[in-house]
Amino acid sequence: MKIKFYLNKKEIEIEVDPTIRLIDLLREKLNLTGTKEGCSIGECGACTVIVDGKAINSCLMLAYQVDGCNVITIEGISEDGKLHPLQENFLKTGAIQCGFCTPGMIMSAYALLLENPNPTEEEIKDAIAGNLCRCTGYKQIIDAIEVSAKELKG
Amino acid sequence: MINLNCKIETPKNIDELLKLLAVENFNSKILAGGTDLIVGKIQGSKRFVDTELLIDINKIEELHKIDLIDDKIIIGASTTFSEIENNKIINEHLPLLKKAVSKIGSLQIRNRATIAGNFVNNAPCADSVPPLLVYNAELELISFGNKRTISLENFLEAPYKTQLQKSELVSKIIIPVPDKNIIGDFYKLGRRRAVAISRITLAVLCRIENNSFDDIRIASGAVTPIGKRFYEIENFTREKRINNDLLINLSQMLGEEILKITGLRWSSAYKLPVVQQMFYQLLNNIVIKK
Ligand code: FES
Ligand code: FES
Repeated sequence: MKIKFYLNKKEIEIEVDPTIRLIDLLREKLNLTGTKEGCSIGECGACTVIVDGKAINSCLMLAYQVDGCNVITIEGISEDGKLHPLQENFLKTGAIQCGFCTPGMIMSAYALLLENPNPTEEEIKDAIAGNLCRCTGYKQIIDAIEVSAKELKG
Repeated sequence: MINLNCKIETPKNIDELLKLLAVENFNSKILAGGTDLIVGKIQGSKRFVDTELLIDINKIEELHKIDLIDDKIIIGASTTFSEIENNKIINEHLPLLKKAVSKIGSLQIRNRATIAGNFVNNAPCADSVPPLLVYNAELELISFGNKRTISLENFLEAPYKTQLQKSELVSKIIIPVPDKNIIGDFYKLGRRRAVAISRITLAVLCRIENNSFDDIRIASGAVTPIGKRFYEIENFTREKRINNDLLINLSQMLGEEILKITGLRWSSAYKLPVVQQMFYQLLNNIVIKK
């Protein structure tokens, strides 16, 4: 099946097997290995990417379903080799230890800030409730998102 | 790389879809949000082992919208939980449904999972069911050359069993706009606050006139084998004057009724007092707010 979609702001056209998942297309066909696979059943959020402005689990979507969509992965949020404020602040506040949850966390946070540039702590918690972190204890992650929201507003 | 190992079709309209569903000797399943089906298929769940064909309905816009037509709210089968949660019509008229869907899974799940997908396999823990039952929801079922309407309550036959025929599709959920004076609440208890499968859900809608229950509708989920209305308690309650004794009495009745349905289980000693307390608090909050 031939599909056409925007991936990190570039339009691509590709032939996909309709029975593979979006995460497999990203990691194995397109070599975008920033997106991680943890549980494969929609529980951990490590595979979170953004499709048409919404955070989704790429382990629960089929690759062909992004036909005509706008997809953003962790590789697509830095610009001209400069890290996105969320990435900078995750590093600064100690929101990263092993880093396995980080791409998914950042994509959930990115989707939140797209919709709501001024989130409360509760809203942040709700946005990352589907992202598990076994290392940091979440406090630092929430801090990183709060600081980024302030910076992005200028 | 994981492969779903079956054929996939993506019909562009209802006609194409119904023709695909009508093919007799093909074991097909509808694919909408996929949050249950894709996991089930990958994990080799019994429910999907013989599925040879997935019919993806995401391209069919008719099934994916919320409308207010005359005095009915019509929710397309493949509308996602996030869309329901953020919809103006739902916010205004169906606050219990909004509350219930906003507590399902995680945001990533709610952005994909669909309303019909929540109840179409009749799992007892489907959170949308108790609110839909108290709102007297009906379903439109369509098949090639045929259309019928059935109440959600009759549709949900037995645990993991519904009235849906092989060639049929749930196309719409139809809910009469509730009277302006109807108030109510929904409560969900899971093992943790977010991303949890429900252990107990309760929905209550009522209309209070002159300090008595003019109308009341009560439904449970997860704690009963299927989502269920409690007509006997509802009838008992109608016209009764509201006081603390009545609320305590009703909570006891609900506990007894649930025990009758489920029989005594190892978990009863834990769940029953919780159900009764939850129900009491729900009623009390509603009465106080009024
Ligand atoms: S890998 Fe997708 S949610 Fe865990
Ligand atoms: S940093 Fe290790 S899982 Fe989050």
